[in-house]
Amino acid sequence: MTTLEAHKPETLDIHASSDNYLTHSKGFISWACTLDHKRIGVMYLVGVLGAFFVGGIFAILVRTELLAPGPTIVGPFAKWMGMDPADVYNQWFTLHGAIMVFLVIIPSIPAALGNFILPVMLGAKDVAFPKLNLFSFYLWVIGALMAVLSLLMGGFDTGWTFYTPYSTTSPAGGVIPIVAGAFILGFSSIFTGMNFIVTIHKLRPPGMTWFKMPLFLWAIYSTAIIQVLATPVLAITLLLLIIERTVNIGIFNPSMGGDPVLYQHFFWFYSHPAVYIMIVPAMGIVSELISVHSHRHIFGYRFIAFSSVAIAMFSFIVWGHHMFTSGQSALMNTIFSAISFSVGIPSAVKVFNWTITLYKGNISLNTPMLYGLAFLFLFTIGGLTGLHLATLSVDVHLHDTYFVVAHFHYVMMGSALIAMIGGLHHWWPKITGRMYNENWGRFAWVLVFVGFNVTFFTQFMLGSQGMPRRYYDYLPEFQTYHVISTVGSYIMSVGFFITAGYLLASLVNGKRAPANPWGGRSLEWQCPSPPPHDNFKTPPRVGDCYDFSIVRWSDEENGYVVDRSLDPSLRENPTPAKGH
Amino acid sequence: MIQMINTLSTALLAAQDAVTPATFWMPEGASTVSADVDWAFMFVTWVSYFFFALIVGLMIVFVIRYRHRKGERFRTDGMTHHGPLEALWIIIPLLISIAIFFFGFKGYLDLAQPPKNTFDIEVVAKKWQWSFTYPNGAISTNMDGLFVPAGKPVRLIMRSYDVLHAFFVPNFRVKRDVVPGRRVALWFQCDFPTGEDASKAYNFFCAEYCGTGHSNMGGKVYVLGETEFAEWMAKQANWIEDIPDDQLYQIAGPKLYAQCSQCHTLDGSTGQGPSWKGIMDRISAGTGKFTNGQSYADIIGPGKVYETPEDYIRDSILNPGRYIVQTFTNVMPTFKGQMNERKIDAVIGLMKHLDQFDSKGKLLSGTAAK
Repeated sequence: MTTLEAHKPETLDIHASSDNYLTHSKGFISWACTLDHKRIGVMYLVGVLGAFFVGGIFAILVRTELLAPGPTIVGPFAKWMGMDPADVYNQWFTLHGAIMVFLVIIPSIPAALGNFILPVMLGAKDVAFPKLNLFSFYLWVIGALMAVLSLLMGGFDTGWTFYTPYSTTSPAGGVIPIVAGAFILGFSSIFTGMNFIVTIHKLRPPGMTWFKMPLFLWAIYSTAIIQVLATPVLAITLLLLIIERTVNIGIFNPSMGGDPVLYQHFFWFYSHPAVYIMIVPAMGIVSELISVHSHRHIFGYRFIAFSSVAIAMFSFIVWGHHMFTSGQSALMNTIFSAISFSVGIPSAVKVFNWTITLYKGNISLNTPMLYGLAFLFLFTIGGLTGLHLATLSVDVHLHDTYFVVAHFHYVMMGSALIAMIGGLHHWWPKITGRMYNENWGRFAWVLVFVGFNVTFFTQFMLGSQGMPRRYYDYLPEFQTYHVISTVGSYIMSVGFFITAGYLLASLVNGKRAPANPWGGRSLEWQCPSPPPHDNFKTPPRVGDCYDFSIVRWSDEENGYVVDRSLDPSLRENPTPAKGH
Repeated sequence: MIQMINTLSTALLAAQDAVTPATFWMPEGASTVSADVDWAFMFVTWVSYFFFALIVGLMIVFVIRYRHRKGERFRTDGMTHHGPLEALWIIIPLLISIAIFFFGFKGYLDLAQPPKNTFDIEVVAKKWQWSFTYPNGAISTNMDGLFVPAGKPVRLIMRSYDVLHAFFVPNFRVKRDVVPGRRVALWFQCDFPTGEDASKAYNFFCAEYCGTGHSNMGGKVYVLGETEFAEWMAKQANWIEDIPDDQLYQIAGPKLYAQCSQCHTLDGSTGQGPSWKGIMDRISAGTGKFTNGQSYADIIGPGKVYETPEDYIRDSILNPGRYIVQTFTNVMPTFKGQMNERKIDAVIGLMKHLDQFDSKGKLLSGTAAK
């Protein structure tokens, strides 16, 4: 009864007021102690983008060093730090990997964008546990500080995978702090996941059944399940590693009676699902980008929703495909190879469904859409090259070469991070209340897209021709591809710097954003930009979030509006249709 | 008649009669499995080309065809789901995946199961060196290269003294992690001799990250014809004979010490076995004790078990379990058959002149003979 009352037709106030979440309270303390999911999301966003900048600097150092065989630019650094030039390089690629994985990609979509958008999409005022949310942000900060501490204590050169016994015997002084940092970041991830699971279960508005949720929420939900179930295994593994290194209890080091392959099993039991912690939310964003900017009902909603869940479940039983050459038994290799192919199916389903969503759509090539299409292009390459690596005999040749490096950059960066940047452009007007310059946006997109492919496609050939990964020095015959790859990375960097430039500029002189600049239909587009402190003054009504038939352009709003008068059935019967 | 049968069987048995040339994707393929691996690789690659073209093609066509112009009413005639179509693109990728899995599995069985009667080479990996021990006791390192006979299945029995390493020969399409605490095997067969020409030999790499020297922990694989290989192996085993007597320990000492360095240090620090620093002085002093309670003085000297310290050292190399220095355990393997008298002389020479070597066993430059 109360539900019905809450669903009386009402007009949502979509006009930005001077009292929004940014202006609601002022001062450093009001941000540092905020329980507002939007402010926490913004703080995550600043942190994640800062870490992305640092990780990117290391990427550029690594690529520049590889311009020629032998020392290229490490010399002065080696002298300054009193290290072997090769160790300087080893620290660079390790830092690049560890920062990008633990500080950037894992928290980027769920913790930064998810925090901001998820409650608004639900029409809720906040997440279920706002204090836990703030706590997990501070855990992220502590984890980031541990990374800085490890640098001050001598850095670390173990690779982001911390493989034993190298990591338990490496003389580098910063191994324990960074491993402890990853341990703490893991808890940040677990708490965020728990928070989102409860929020989606308990705070959905009346009328929003599971199959009326935006697909982004399905993706965040699937991700949260992996975060909560897989991350504790990483925590235990890292703790065991610290124990082995500090008190010399033999767990992974064979000279003390341990087994290094056990470490790999433990590590990948988390880190393979973690790959999906990175990619599944990206898939959620892409479902939104493609549908909203095509102004067209997503094709095969249920298949896309279930494929997120399917990927989350399969992700737990394929970890052994990282270990085909490690000494795992041939029988296990065979089983893991077979299961690994099964992950390809739900991914393929999604790609086909997104493609068909474009068919008979109303496609606007806004910057977020360009990133959505780039995702489709890059994820197709990343996914298909996964087939090479799941194929047993072929993987034996390709394992630990640049082919693997290229493959996971197509998936982790070309897909997860590109989707994140697409999502950032998509929700930027909502978050900041400002529009960025579309022309600069499209121009930077071209540089990022072209630069990315030049950088990483060459690495497929490098790898299949036999160039092993994590090499400071290499044979002269590999130089041509390395030079092309490095040039690509410079093109991409220019694209990212331009992106940072126009986004920051929009904060100063960007046009005021309307509530609904793209023609979206889900609830966050029916709330002012930027949203008020409580998101919605009156409880919003829930419809089919992919039905664009009642979305139209409005000149006076200078944006799109959801106009129920366009649909006769809605006019006659104001109560929302029951979920089926 | 016999000639005909021979020709026929060669034609039937030979998987390929020459190395497969390098392509855009793959380097020259020289092992008996490389053609099969390449075939599976190219099959997956063509599947990838097809689906990439399909998806990106449709994407471009749709984006051009269904561009939205501002102000237009949204068309809403696109379908929202289509069961049979979606079932189709679950079933087709599934069938293709099963086929790919099968090709990879079939090829992997060949890689995982060495044939009988392999030619075995013992491989030791440590930061950042490979050493190869051949059946006749000959030894080569990654500096010299790995030498293998052509036309015979070769099995590498590998172990690591420290961290993970991996042995990788791109031209043979084989790779195997070398896990400390285990002895692992990798096999391959190459039918095409390269000779002792470094420009024709194949590269091998360490493929598992192992620290500072990781990227330089590689070398060449030389494939020699049967007689050529036998000659090389005999020569390699007898390299010590070619060194002039007056430079014996200076030239041979460092090379031989490389085999001992994992357990015996030269700087006094404790390893698996006693350090060689001051070893001659300790023996002369005679006070050091063995696990059986006897001291050096009890067994070394005229009329005792060993007449001279040199005699004691020689026997420790050949029968290392006989007397164990206190606090150590009986872990050293015998070097009978690998160390002849001349090699033992070189090692004793090194022990007596440690001041001419650095702590890694490298001859200090000022002391090189003449």
